[in-house]
Amino acid sequence: MKLARRTRQLAAAAAALLALATTGCGADAGAASGESTLRWAVALPAHWDPVVSGSGAQFRILSLAYASLTEIDEQGKAVPSLARGWDYNSTGDQVTFHLRPGLKFTDGEPLDARAVKLYLERAKTQKNSALFGDLTSIKEITADGDLDVVINLTQVDYQIPLLLGERVAQITSPKAAQDPVKLDQNPVGAGPFVVTEFVPGSHVYFKKNADYWDAANIHIDRVELHAAPDSATIVSSLKTGVYDLAYLDASQVKAAKASGLDVVLQPGFNASNISINVNKKPFDNPKVVDAVRYAVNRQEFVDKVTFGYGKATDQPFPPGYLAYDEKSAGQFGYDPAKARQLLAEAGYQPGQIKLDLVIPAQSTAAEIVQAQLDAIGITVSIKVDPNWSTPFFAKDLTLSLYGTTGRESPVQTLTAHFGPNGPLNLSTPYQPEGFEAAIALARQTPLDSPDYAANLQAATRAGLASRALVFTHAPTNIFVKSTRVSALPAIPGQIHWTGVTVAAS
Amino acid sequence: MVRRLLALTSGRIAAVILALIALLALLGPLLSPQDPLAGSADILADPGPHHWLGTDYLGRDVLSRLLAGSRLSVLGALQVTVMALLVGVIPGILSVYLGRAFEWVTLRLADTLIALPFLVFAVAVTALLGNGIPQAMLTVGIMVSPLFFRVSRAATLSVARSQYVEAAIIAGASVGWIVRRHVWTKVLPPIAIALAHTAGVGFVVVSSLTFLGIGVRPPAPTWGGILASDLGFLSYRPWAPLLPTALIMATVWACNLLADAIRDVSGEAGRALLDNRKLRGRLAVAGRGA
Repeated sequence: MKLARRTRQLAAAAAALLALATTGCGADAGAASGESTLRWAVALPAHWDPVVSGSGAQFRILSLAYASLTEIDEQGKAVPSLARGWDYNSTGDQVTFHLRPGLKFTDGEPLDARAVKLYLERAKTQKNSALFGDLTSIKEITADGDLDVVINLTQVDYQIPLLLGERVAQITSPKAAQDPVKLDQNPVGAGPFVVTEFVPGSHVYFKKNADYWDAANIHIDRVELHAAPDSATIVSSLKTGVYDLAYLDASQVKAAKASGLDVVLQPGFNASNISINVNKKPFDNPKVVDAVRYAVNRQEFVDKVTFGYGKATDQPFPPGYLAYDEKSAGQFGYDPAKARQLLAEAGYQPGQIKLDLVIPAQSTAAEIVQAQLDAIGITVSIKVDPNWSTPFFAKDLTLSLYGTTGRESPVQTLTAHFGPNGPLNLSTPYQPEGFEAAIALARQTPLDSPDYAANLQAATRAGLASRALVFTHAPTNIFVKSTRVSALPAIPGQIHWTGVTVAAS
Repeated sequence: MVRRLLALTSGRIAAVILALIALLALLGPLLSPQDPLAGSADILADPGPHHWLGTDYLGRDVLSRLLAGSRLSVLGALQVTVMALLVGVIPGILSVYLGRAFEWVTLRLADTLIALPFLVFAVAVTALLGNGIPQAMLTVGIMVSPLFFRVSRAATLSVARSQYVEAAIIAGASVGWIVRRHVWTKVLPPIAIALAHTAGVGFVVVSSLTFLGIGVRPPAPTWGGILASDLGFLSYRPWAPLLPTALIMATVWACNLLADAIRDVSGEAGRALLDNRKLRGRLAVAGRGA
């Protein structure tokens, strides 16, 4: 009897402990009561040094910890951030950024002109920099006092304020950057949040940075990044309150809406393409490239990859974007008969061309490319290489796929795809004839000039002569969020926390 | 053995299911009502007259893909089983007769293989040798082989220490003769059980690997691959994963049922059981006749 009572007492104590432990290990672990906490399920970045991380989509996550020199507004125009303004000289080959006074990094270091200068110089020179290719217009940076950063350019380039936004100029603490290896896993910036706990591959916790230049408009006290689960479980995770925000695959939109979650269709500059290496056989034959161009049925990508939440595009921008060239649209329409004829003219029998399509992860888009090329007699074998980025950026692959989230500077987008050293140009150093001159003219055109759109579109037209890229579709940025999270600012391609609130659960 | 096996209900059920699966593997691609690789604009469609089990995310006919996928799944399981049999049985028997050094080495190898997680190892091998079913399955076959090694060694040991074998050795019988004449007949029943069980394990492994996208390249259909892709579209076809799951479960269940049936009918106990059943059957018939 005594033993039974003792057992019951022990069981009750164990249950109480378990309940406490469960609460402690739950989603609010570490959050003080009354705090506004955002739990975001996301693929955690491998690199937390913006110089190493580069200008890809991961900048959205790094922007929690880092503030950038400029931002963009909802129309995609450059607006002040760390820099309260900027001026070009009369010849357009020098731009001076004027910093806000009293800025400081989360390690207490001052965020002054010297810090910006050191960051940009590091981005240009550090051995493993993924940004140096974006900074070719910058010749020299000087600090004029504490607040003015003077940038001398190699050419007239009015794109610099757009360029030095979140993707390229998330300024790092110069003190922390003395050890770039450590910085890559211990971010130290001047962003809206500061890291409090970092467990690689698991989670990263942040708290609000009271010293952020716009801290008054940050209403979230704590952000928890959790390694995202499989896309099929995202909706149920949000529905049950495990997370508040996540990227959403288009195939899951129906489920998210049915669950009463908020599906956010964020504007952006996304464009996906088939990357071709014209330096390798059989794509050294222009007729084979043209055959691929005519083989692509873009609507199939829109229907099966984006579930209708995207648009067909044959350019590195979505239709309707400022740099989208209507004159070039539909130049290579879907015509498989013509594609087969071109292959025959190139001397290839059906089934004679066998290629590996190397991609980082299995994708519906790859299967569509495989089927569409098979229909014209090109046999494609899909090869998944988790280490895909190494041969892709070394330009060793013959055929691959790439999806860009775009760039704030349309010129940067164009040079990344079509430039001789563009990171997304699989055919380096190949560039289409006339592209260099067209892109220089676009750079030299002030953003408020009436000729700006026309010159940009002319540069796009020149770039599209490239045989290295066949654009397929423009997916939409889709997020799913709990109704606790207020509307996200509709900044194209980015996620901003300014003004966003998270209600108590 | 086969006659006795079919005398059991469980044996008959297992045989029917496995015969159907074998038929699917042989004729599945021919039975497919449509091209299993051909996509259409009609994606994630519900079952209808044109697509009896609906379509997948690329508009391909699901029934045709399930039928076409049976061959790869069955072949993968067979590869595992045959490899495990070859690598496990022969060293298992020889470890009793080829001296202490051979025995020690084979036992340590078997222990090592048991300690390795074979699914993870298979993934690593495909990463090294290329993403193909044969590479993955041969690796898993080797990893599973200790089961056959231990079963055949245990059976051989029990025979090798019996008096009639010792008498045969004294009479000058060779090791080969003893294995053929005495050991093989004793080893065969437990190996048959292990074989059926391993085939079931092989199905699970091949389904797991293809579920993860390992060992097979699109657009080749497999049951595991179809299951994996179906899970991504539950909001459109929530019942879809049940189809490949049912096929995998039925096959594995039939393999295990067959293993149990073989165990029941093999050896003296099995014979006695059957004899009793026959006797009861005859008595029942006689009773009805009376």
